[in-house]
Amino acid sequence: MSVSFRIDCLQFLSPSGELNETAGAIARDANLLEGFYRAMMRARIFDGKAIALQRTGKLGTFASALGQEAVGVGVASAMLPRDVLVPSYRDHAAQLLRGMTMVENLLYWGGDERGSDFAVPRADFPICIPVGTQVAHAVGAAYAFLLRKEDRVAVCFVGDGGTGNGAFYEALNMAGVWKTPVVIVINNNRWAISTPRERECAAETLAQKAIGAGVEGVQVDGNDVIAVYQVVRQAIEKARDGGGPTLIEALTFRLGDHTTADDATRYRDPQVVQQEWAREPIGRLRTYLAAKGFWTKDREDALLKQCAAEVEQAVAAYLATPAQQNDSMFDHLYAALPFAMQSQLEEARRFAPGDGPREAVRAVSSPGGGDG
Amino acid sequence: MDRERQSAPYHHRGGGMAELTLVEAVNLALAHEMTRDRDVLLLGEDIGVNGGVFRATNGLIARFGRERVVDTPLAEGAIAGVAIGMAAMGLKPVAEIQFSGFIYPCIDQMINHASRLRHRTRGRLTCPMVLRSPCGAGIHAPEHHSESPEAMFAHMPGLRVVAPSSPARAYGLLLAAIRDPDPVVFLEPTRLYRLFRQEVLDDGEALPLDACFVSREGRDATVVAWGAMLHEVMTAAELLEQEGIEIEVIDAATLKPLDFETILRSVEKTGRCVIVHEAPRTCGLGAEIAAQIGERALYSLLAPVKRVTGYDVVVPLSRLEMQYMPSVARIADAVRKVVEG
Amino acid sequence: MKIFRLPDLGEGLQEAEVVEWRVQSGQTVAVDDPLLAVETAKAVVEIPSPHAARIERLFAKVGEIVHIGSPLVGFDGAGEEDEGAGSIVGAVATGTQVMREAPSSLEHAGAGIRAMPAVRALARKLGVDLAIVTPSGADGVITSADVERVARILAESGPAEPLRGFRRAMARNMALARSEVAAATIVDDADIGSWSKDADTTIRLIRALVAGCRAEPSLNAWFEGQTMARRVLGKIDLGVAVDLPEGLFVPVLRDVGNRDAADLRAGLDRMRADMAARRMLPEELRGATITLSNFGMIAGKYAAPVVLPPTVAILGAGRIRMDVVAFEGAPAIRRILPLSLTFDHRVVSGGEAGRFLAAALEELAKPE
Repeated sequence: MSVSFRIDCLQFLSPSGELNETAGAIARDANLLEGFYRAMMRARIFDGKAIALQRTGKLGTFASALGQEAVGVGVASAMLPRDVLVPSYRDHAAQLLRGMTMVENLLYWGGDERGSDFAVPRADFPICIPVGTQVAHAVGAAYAFLLRKEDRVAVCFVGDGGTGNGAFYEALNMAGVWKTPVVIVINNNRWAISTPRERECAAETLAQKAIGAGVEGVQVDGNDVIAVYQVVRQAIEKARDGGGPTLIEALTFRLGDHTTADDATRYRDPQVVQQEWAREPIGRLRTYLAAKGFWTKDREDALLKQCAAEVEQAVAAYLATPAQQNDSMFDHLYAALPFAMQSQLEEARRFAPGDGPREAVRAVSSPGGGDG
Repeated sequence: MDRERQSAPYHHRGGGMAELTLVEAVNLALAHEMTRDRDVLLLGEDIGVNGGVFRATNGLIARFGRERVVDTPLAEGAIAGVAIGMAAMGLKPVAEIQFSGFIYPCIDQMINHASRLRHRTRGRLTCPMVLRSPCGAGIHAPEHHSESPEAMFAHMPGLRVVAPSSPARAYGLLLAAIRDPDPVVFLEPTRLYRLFRQEVLDDGEALPLDACFVSREGRDATVVAWGAMLHEVMTAAELLEQEGIEIEVIDAATLKPLDFETILRSVEKTGRCVIVHEAPRTCGLGAEIAAQIGERALYSLLAPVKRVTGYDVVVPLSRLEMQYMPSVARIADAVRKVVEG
Repeated sequence: MKIFRLPDLGEGLQEAEVVEWRVQSGQTVAVDDPLLAVETAKAVVEIPSPHAARIERLFAKVGEIVHIGSPLVGFDGAGEEDEGAGSIVGAVATGTQVMREAPSSLEHAGAGIRAMPAVRALARKLGVDLAIVTPSGADGVITSADVERVARILAESGPAEPLRGFRRAMARNMALARSEVAAATIVDDADIGSWSKDADTTIRLIRALVAGCRAEPSLNAWFEGQTMARRVLGKIDLGVAVDLPEGLFVPVLRDVGNRDAADLRAGLDRMRADMAARRMLPEELRGATITLSNFGMIAGKYAAPVVLPPTVAILGAGRIRMDVVAFEGAPAIRRILPLSLTFDHRVVSGGEAGRFLAAALEELAKPE
């Protein structure tokens, strides 16, 4: 018995902004397309501001999603509020659309756990740093939906580098065996810190890793938000209908550094990066929208102003948020703090900053006369 | 009626106590909780159709179905990972790791995620899962089947680590672990799985977590142990009694968070302490208990604290296995030393 | 190469078109020199150089659209960041301090007193110094029973009196002497039956000691233990051990080898008077080259008195007694003066000590 496979790559919107007619009715859905555009622009402006904040010491390490906005926006747009998003750490474009606030994301990267206590997407998972481990969480969540017969789908992101991790393969395999309602989106931005895609895997596509797990795998131009949306929507509907998991490889490019503490010029040619700018997602959609008369310069100006204002407001709110007290280290460790931990809590309180260094230095002489 | 019995041999046969082995008690607790709470489900390798390699989940797939007794592919890390995903969505998964030596791939998910999920989301998401595994040496198994990893898990903030020492405690503590809203690593003593029976009432009464049990009262020395070692310690207790030495035996049970208050009260009374654990000596939990005694009970001590532990060696294969383990002789010797000098 | 990217243009603007380059590759610029002009949706903006450096590469062409964050200019040489200071996450502090370390090793201090904290607390409570408690526990551990035993004994014996002044000095000096000196003792009896009734015992002893020194000068010496050097001294400055209620005193009688009996007696009496009147000056207690201990004035036959460094010998005289000895071939009752010579065997040999003693005995045997 021999098996052959085929991985299709879908694209509707070319880098130069021309929309293939196979896109169908969506080509005329100005509202939807405008929504994509606004969301991508909002994500990019926020992203740039976050980098600027880090450079001025007001934010910790930040992982920019510059150039990858279409993947996040396309995926999140295809999800229902009751679905669950399981992100990696570069997915704020999707998370912002899901209802995570800018302040929450800034708090997270600014070093405050409250940034993961989303006010709106209450069931979405927080950012995942250990690469690849989140896929199992998505599979488990999807299993819960299956068991409870809930009409919900889990959608998770993983990077191209993450697909090399054993955790990825194991979870994908389980998803295939159990036919869980999960959609796994590979954000293939072609760089895992300094490791280029060719050195991450010898397979021609990452989507074909699905074959090894008995799962359907597809590729899509990750900078074409329309194609991303279509592919993900199809996969989510399939999952919702009991059709099981799909692995989607979205091809894009990491235009920024791995994080704000990375200097990508050490390992990749800035010229190549410059060339990739020609393929980025926002420009091509703008070109199409403008050509169709759905978008004007005035509306662009207004959008930029609005996004800038929203970002400024969020930054102000973030900067004005006071740090948590020492007590918060002990909050939410367990449902209730065990008695055994009381003495540690008291110790942390004693050394808490605020009233001056109470215990740091003891007075050399006692007050009130004498030799002390 | 007969078919029921066949498919669920450990379901208590209508009223009264049953004398169960430890592994049967585990089975009873799982069945009880799965009946009571529809959100409880089991996952692990060979736990369904095969009923678990030690029969801990025997008969459960017939009663509760494949969706709630899930035979997983062979992937320990993912078993822990999907359990976390399930738990975050409100299920109560009880994941089995077939043998202690295979629990290490779970450390990534348990430490990086299970232990932290509640803390890092400020309580928005929680992880009410149980990871259970047969641990410890003494069953003459091949390599890697004799581990005692409790210290590794106990070291990480946010996890609970529980080690039952008898059928009744296995039943009560497992119920408590499943019901607990936070992740619990439940380390079952393989060697005691079938070694003896005990009356266990299927009354759904959980034992308290975060509490030590005083298995035996005495005035001359405090001996702290957990899991399979309780068996050796109690045997040593009887031996020492004939010599006029009465030891107080404390079953730590929940290793993290540890109920040190009970140990403290005992050491203040006896002034002497011996800690027994199968796990290797360095950085074992005996060190933690000894450190706390040093911090809080030093002035009550009449002799230095002693630890009787596995050596800092790779657990030997079966031929030497029993020489590695803390024996009744080693335990009794240590007690005599702290009592008599 | 340090890459300069298009910075935030403000007002949410995301891109601009390159209008004109003001610099070229290879050119060196100063901070704030204009690099290029770009046109945004609003205006033409000049972008200044953030560095003073040589330009290596330009990354955009005139007419190209450049985006915020995209590379514009590559500068040669070091920028603000060190080439090697990578981290990917967080911020690893870079310092310039050079660490100099000189680790020491710990000397083995010895086991010291071994007792459990509970026992130590008990000793404190009962006022027992653990140093005087003999341990009965295994490995030399002091038990609470030991402490209670000593507490009982002390309670019956009254309070301890801390040593002061000369008693304290004696305790210290004797301890020191004992730890340094390799003491050896030889004893003998002097037959003083031929002495007249009014013989001055102390003076006779001094004469005997002088005779010993003449026979064996090496016993009148100072020894420096640290340098292993010996000074044999010509002058005999005799330390005379005196017992007072306050303690042991050893005033020094100078140059006894060259003084006659009357002078010596006068000197001794003056010494005694000064001591009684407490007018002894410190220097009169120093500088002995050899010591005489007439302990026999109280009681005792033989002794091994403590040699006080830096001296190397001490002659002890016991109580004069009537004893049965062999005298001219037959038992007789004679007056006997017992002598003990303790010497520092690091410096003085047995033979030397023996010859000293022989000479002293010979001198003492003389009638006058």
